[in-house]
This record gives sequence, structure tokens and C-alpha cells, in this order.
Amino acid sequence: MDLHRVLVTGNEEIMPQTHVVDVASPLLGQSSKPGQFVHIRCGPMWDPLLRRPMSIFRIRPDGVSLMVRAVGDGSQIIAASAVGAELDLLGPLGRPFTIDPSARRLAMVGGGYGVAPLVALATEALGRGCEVVLMVGAATADYVFPADELPTDVEYAVSTVDGSLGHHGLVTELLPRYLDWSDAVYACGPTPMLEAVARITRPATFGVAGAMRSRKPVELAMEQHMGCAMGVCLGCVVMTKKGYQRVCRDGPVFQADEMIWEGSHA
Amino acid sequence: MPENGTASRGGAAPAPNLRVNLAPSNMHGLELQNPVLVASGTFGYGTEYQQLVDIQRIGAICSKGITVRPRAGNPPPRIAETPAGMLNAIGLQNVGLRGIVQEKAPIWARWSVPVIANISGESIAEFEELAGTLDGVPGIAGLEVNISCPNIRDGGRLFADDAASAAAVTRACRAVTSLPLMVKLSPNVGNVVEIALAVEAAGADALSVANTLLAMLIDVERRRPYIANRTAGLSGPAVRPVTVRMVYQITQAVSVPVVGVGGVTCTEDALQYFMAGATAVQVGTANFVNPRTATEIIDGLAAYLRQHGIADVAELVGAAHPRAARPAVSAPS
Repeated sequence: MDLHRVLVTGNEEIMPQTHVVDVASPLLGQSSKPGQFVHIRCGPMWDPLLRRPMSIFRIRPDGVSLMVRAVGDGSQIIAASAVGAELDLLGPLGRPFTIDPSARRLAMVGGGYGVAPLVALATEALGRGCEVVLMVGAATADYVFPADELPTDVEYAVSTVDGSLGHHGLVTELLPRYLDWSDAVYACGPTPMLEAVARITRPATFGVAGAMRSRKPVELAMEQHMGCAMGVCLGCVVMTKKGYQRVCRDGPVFQADEMIWEGSHA
Repeated sequence: MPENGTASRGGAAPAPNLRVNLAPSNMHGLELQNPVLVASGTFGYGTEYQQLVDIQRIGAICSKGITVRPRAGNPPPRIAETPAGMLNAIGLQNVGLRGIVQEKAPIWARWSVPVIANISGESIAEFEELAGTLDGVPGIAGLEVNISCPNIRDGGRLFADDAASAAAVTRACRAVTSLPLMVKLSPNVGNVVEIALAVEAAGADALSVANTLLAMLIDVERRRPYIANRTAGLSGPAVRPVTVRMVYQITQAVSVPVVGVGGVTCTEDALQYFMAGATAVQVGTANFVNPRTATEIIDGLAAYLRQHGIADVAELVGAAHPRAARPAVSAPS
């Protein structure tokens, strides 16, 4: 983890308001792990003030690719970075996903932009010889993560809220059919989606039989507005069984059974 | 290009003096290698930024606010960005007094950078317990008495809100510790000079000016305040003109050193505070954006002084004050 000044080597809009920004940095490429993120300064000025956290989407020996969702003033500046421009990055940051050496079949659930760290994870899992299914959900077909950005060995299941592509409904409704098949479950996306994943994968908690399932590792990458991303400002906390934990430092990846959901989202 | 008769521009010129003493009348003093501190709540317990910043170069580190008991802090959302600034309502999440004494202070005792413990009580008795317990603990160079955190008021008043209660807290701390006391004032008051004078008279060695500005952001979709605590503290470049003005007013009235806090991002910002009368500055929110802000300002100050042929940073202090009120130092030529 360090402060890096890196060159932008590619920038492609893969979905509306969503860019994949490639940066050159052998240091980042060789030290980043799936689930980690970088904290990007919006520019040399102090307005917009704070850095923006962006998921690491691809990890290469010579750098990383970041998924940048251009939703506000700061992320729009970052998403507009031209090839050859310089970015001020802090990272890699946060606790990554873990893949148990005995796990062979991995189920992944991505909501919207939350697909980003799962693509990095899926790529690593394939490299380890695992089978991977990636379920993604989006509001409409326009916002579905394009399949050609995924390694071909990943099974891909799509859902849209309006039914314009794939399953008509929520992405979490796809999860039950892969539950018995999978050795581990990973998810990233909006907090209500993560809560649903935790509920679906932990039937024992809700009084339904399922002792075998309840021991399955379920890892969730949480989203929260961030200040420093260094564990200092204590701005990005979520409630867990250990009390408030910092998404930037103690997460962003948490075990599903660590989380306390009540009051964790508006 | 060297000018005739000005030694300051030559390579052999002595390095300008950046050392300052924030508690000249205290028995221990609070001598810092330079006048650039990092502000409470923006640098954790100092350890968090060690990997990124040469923390031993910093003038002093003000710790995250410490309370008698550990505090979980406020529910999220706790922070939000605003124009050239941010809101926070963390609610003093911290490990508590025992955790500081047992876990943090022993680390600080091994450092050359002084650590100033920021203490926050809900009653005068709590301030006494904090100040008394920390007195003589190795690793603690001084106390910053936080009478002004806007995020724990629970509807009540802050000690910083009026001169009498601000002075009462200061007196109580003064009675139980010989450590240098820096009292952190609130900007959310009508007459900050009156409060500064009362705190000085009650035994403060220095003042830090100021805490965050009480503020609010409304979520217009949900039609309610965005921050869960509803109100929050505004910090960052947006507040700088307000706190520079306060430093300017206070330093013309008090004699103790004043430390400027609010929106310091670069050398020029620090110079504004010195010229407004501050003896030192604290870098706060800027640490979140560029953790190396303080060390960059230390280098920038030395370069500025060299460039302008100024031997001691003290010569700048109060340079912007009205002529009659200026301290009797040689004016820069």
C-alpha cells in the first residue's frame, strides 16, 4: 500500500456511466488482490475534496484496471481521465476476498457496479481450477455487465428488475438454485442485496433446517461512503457483531455472519 | 540570483528556524521542531499513517479525541462531502482512557514526535479524571482540551459555548496536571475573544482555534438530514476564512500561543494563519486527501523563509495585524 502517481493507459465506457480505466503500475499489479480497492484523488484542487474509492476489476502484472461509475462530480472527473493522464492513487486498500484451498465451486452475486471486484475474483478462481458462476443484477438490460468482459469459463446468469434481459426480478432470486452446488458464496452490491444474500445463505439463522449450509463461507464486500480509506476518520463504519467496523480497513470484505443488518441501510 | 548584501539567498545561509514553543510559561514547555501539527480526529493515534508519512518530521500529533470510557460513536452515515469541505459526526468513537494509557502511550513514548492527547469529557469531573490520569504518563507531551466537539452535545450545551464554563473546565484540568494545556475553542459562538480571554486567565498554555463549524446537509429525496446525527461538523478549505478571522481577532487580545486549525492544505494556507497571529497550525481534513500535507508544508515553509530572507518563522506571526498591535519584531525588508 502506497501513494502512487500512475499513467492512464486505457479508458472504455463499458456500460452507461461506467468506465473501465486501465492504469500502469507494476507495484499495484503485483500487490493487489481481488476485493481490494484504490482511493483516487479527483484532481490537484480541493473541490471536490475527498478521494473516491474504486474497485480493482482486473489485475495484471503491469498494472490494474478500475471500474469507475460516473455518478457524481468527483467520479465523473476520474471517469473522464484520458489515456496519458496521471492519476493520484492510494492503494491497494482493504481486506480482500479469501478462497479456501478446498473450495472447488464458487457462486458470486453482483448487484450493479458491485460486479467489479467479483470479476477479479472470478479470474483468480479460474486460475486455481475452480468452477465459477457469476450472477449479476441490474435495473435494465442497458446496465447489465457485458458478457464479453468476462472470462469464457465463467457461467453467467443475468437478472433485470424490468425483465428486459435474463431473469425478471432480483439477482438474489437466482442464488438458491446454485446454493447446494457451491462451496462458497461471494457478493458485492447495495446493502439490501447483501442482506438478502446473507439471509438466503444462512437459513439456520432463520429457523429453517440447513446445518450444512450454515458452515459454507459467505463473503460480502460492503459499500459505504469513505473519507480517508486509511482507518483514521472512522466515517465508513458498518455494524457488526464486534461493534462498528471500518469498511476501508476491517473490510470491505466481511463474513456474512459477522454483520448486523438492523439500521445498516436507509 | 544573489542580491548585494543579502546573505539569506546564498547557499551558506543558515537554515531558517522553525522551532516553536507552544507553552513557554509551562514548567515542561511544549517545544516543537516546527509549527505544523496534525489535528485531532484526522490522524488517528499516529500509527495509521506511518506507512505513508514520515511522522517523526511532524511538529506534533494531536490524538483522536479520548473519553473516559470507550465510545462506539454515532450510527452511519457519519460523513458527507460538501463544497470544498466535509461534514462529520463520528461521535468520538475511541478506545477510552485505559486503552490510551495501556496501549497507545507506550508506543508514543518511543517516538521523537510529541503526541498531544486530545481529551473530551461530558462533565468537569470527567475532564479532571482524563487530565489527572494522563499527567505524568510517558509518551504524552501535552493535552488538547476538547471543550468544543459539536457531535456529542445530546441537545445540551457545550463547555465552549460560554466563557464561564470554558474557564471552569480549563481551571479543573489545570489543577490536576502540570502538562501543557491547549484548549480547543468552538467557532460556533458569538464572542470568541471573550471566551479565549477567560480560558487564558484560567490557566491555558495555548489555544487551538477552532473546532468544526456546526452544519447540516439535507437529503432532498428523503426530506431529512443526511447525517444520522442530523447536525455535523464542517471542516476543510471551506471553513478556512472563518477560522483565520478568529485567529486574527483572538491573537490581538491574548498573550498565549494560538494554533490555527481549519482548512490548511498548503504552505500558503499556513502562512495566512501565521500572519493572522498563529504561532503554529494544525493540518486536519487535508490529511484524508493527501496524508503528506503536513510534511510538504514543513518543507514549503522552510523554502519560503529562505526565499524571503527570514531567519525565524516567529517573525511572520501577526504580520497582518494592524500596525499598532504588531509585536515588536524586525519587519521583513
